[in-house]
Amino acid sequence: MPLIQVKDLYKIYQMGNTEVRALDGVSLSIEKNEYVSIMGPSGSGKSTLMNLLGCLDTPSSGDFYMDGINVATMTDNELAHIRNKKIGFVFQTFNLLPKSTSLRNVELPLIYNGEVKAQFRKDLAMKALNRVNLGDRVGHKPNELSGGQRQRVAIARALVNDPAIILADEPTGNLDSKTGEEIMALFDDLHALGNTIILVTHEEYIAEHAQRIVRLLDGKIAVDELTKKKKK
Amino acid sequence: MGGFFWENMRIALSELWGHKTRSILTATGIVIGIIAVSLMSTLINGVDGLFENSMKFLGRGNLYVDKWPWFGDEDWWTLRNRPRIELDMAEDIEERSTYAIAVAAQRGRSADLSYKEYSSEGIFINGVSANYPDVSTIDVEFGRFFTGSEDRTGAQVIILGSDVAKALFPFEDPIDKEIFVGSSRFRVIGVLAEMGKFLGTFSQDAQVIIPIKTFNKIFHGPWGMRRITVKVPEEHIEDAKEELRGIVRVLRGQKPEEKDNFAINQQKAFRQQYQGIKLAIGGTGLVITALSLLVGGIGIANIMFVSVKERTREIGVRKALGATRGKILGQFLIESMLITASGGIVGLLVSTLASLAINKFLFPASMSFGVAFMAIALSATVGLIAGLAPARKGSLLDPIEALRYE
Repeated sequence: MPLIQVKDLYKIYQMGNTEVRALDGVSLSIEKNEYVSIMGPSGSGKSTLMNLLGCLDTPSSGDFYMDGINVATMTDNELAHIRNKKIGFVFQTFNLLPKSTSLRNVELPLIYNGEVKAQFRKDLAMKALNRVNLGDRVGHKPNELSGGQRQRVAIARALVNDPAIILADEPTGNLDSKTGEEIMALFDDLHALGNTIILVTHEEYIAEHAQRIVRLLDGKIAVDELTKKKKK
Repeated sequence: MGGFFWENMRIALSELWGHKTRSILTATGIVIGIIAVSLMSTLINGVDGLFENSMKFLGRGNLYVDKWPWFGDEDWWTLRNRPRIELDMAEDIEERSTYAIAVAAQRGRSADLSYKEYSSEGIFINGVSANYPDVSTIDVEFGRFFTGSEDRTGAQVIILGSDVAKALFPFEDPIDKEIFVGSSRFRVIGVLAEMGKFLGTFSQDAQVIIPIKTFNKIFHGPWGMRRITVKVPEEHIEDAKEELRGIVRVLRGQKPEEKDNFAINQQKAFRQQYQGIKLAIGGTGLVITALSLLVGGIGIANIMFVSVKERTREIGVRKALGATRGKILGQFLIESMLITASGGIVGLLVSTLASLAINKFLFPASMSFGVAFMAIALSATVGLIAGLAPARKGSLLDPIEALRYE
């Protein structure tokens, strides 16, 4: 069974009298330890698909299995639980809590986890920060860190609950190209260590880091191809 | 869940700390509200205590036969023309009443006292029968009360109230000294224990007591108060009052159709009068002070709405990382309750100090544990209610929208 299996996924919005089909019958499966880029112009349904894959939203119809569980029909609270346990988000704008230190930011998913006792949280958060080479920045607040460092904190936060997938939405969009390359190198490492990574981007050279590119157009999958990296 | 409580406390504390000025200003509304409510309750308690203390002077089982009713709206001229109370009725009442435990006659007026170079003017001279201690709460601290035979023979003996004793005898033992009441010579045989004021006005300690026969001998004329006090069992006081009314009417030869030309007073009248005033003033006071708390609560609700709005993005992040609605709700509720509870504690401290000052300079008042508990509980409840709508709004935010919020 694939890690993610999506079948005939529709997301339809009613805008006045017109029906907008943001997703118009998408079927897709992603295996464990795959490295996938999702691409497409704006309005292609890229963001909608990402929101669904991130369990931030539910489809109008269709099936969505994650790790064997159908999440398409879940309630808000069940989705929150899935997001906490199964998904590690990395955002374009980092989305760190500005008043909290790196350590506190990374601890946050553990706090909502509910199964990790308080005395283990700090160790787990430290371990995640060390993995992104920020062991010496634990007490810093986001405004004391560079853009690249902030994104590393966000990646540590995504890793800390040991999620099934890491979902990165334009992770280099707010970074200069050199820093962007460093962050992408980090994703490549994480993939090599066995993580499953889904990357949403509109930059071809970023998407090339993945093994597979899914191209969306008008709410449908237009192309689903392997990259040179995989072919090699 | 317990872990969340502390986590939320931590978030709330750092949030409030991060907006110090705003938090202090917001909490000030609650501080003022709690000061108002708790001081008001403390004052009402204090007045209550004062009242109950005064009521001790009027025994619960006492009926007072007077010319004037204590309260009422009868025509002043009618009351004025009533015959004065004939004190020799006391014996007849004692004989005829089935309920009476003791019946004491009493006259009173004011006069000037002097001893050597010391003098006290306008002191209340209480002329009573020898069984007066049975119907009152006086307590002879030094010396003794007068005897029945001293009363019958009109002996010139006197018992001093504690303030009078202090004024006339600052350095000497008053017992067996001779003092002047007007121009008559009296021998001091006793000093009363301190009693305090009746309802904060008439000092029970600024009186002297002499035998009623002696009083009649010295003071002529119709002036001054005359009263017969009848002590009855407290549980039969209403029946005893009816019986007493009948006895006095018969003694006075009143015709059946005539209205009573006397009044029978009792402590209950004071109590009813007081309850009415207390309800009116206390009730109004509490409503007004509660309004100030309400205003404080509205301030909290307002600032919480602002806080939720400002932190839309944060709510989005928290939800993306797995916070459920309940957890977001709890976070904001704890925050608003923390503001109001701290406001409540500060308010309580201020009003405790204020009540200490009132106790020292005005009248007995003290912050009871009940009032303190109520103040804290009330402020936390205000926080809970004021935070409910903003917290609910935050908890229902769509994470996608919230993450996109700039």
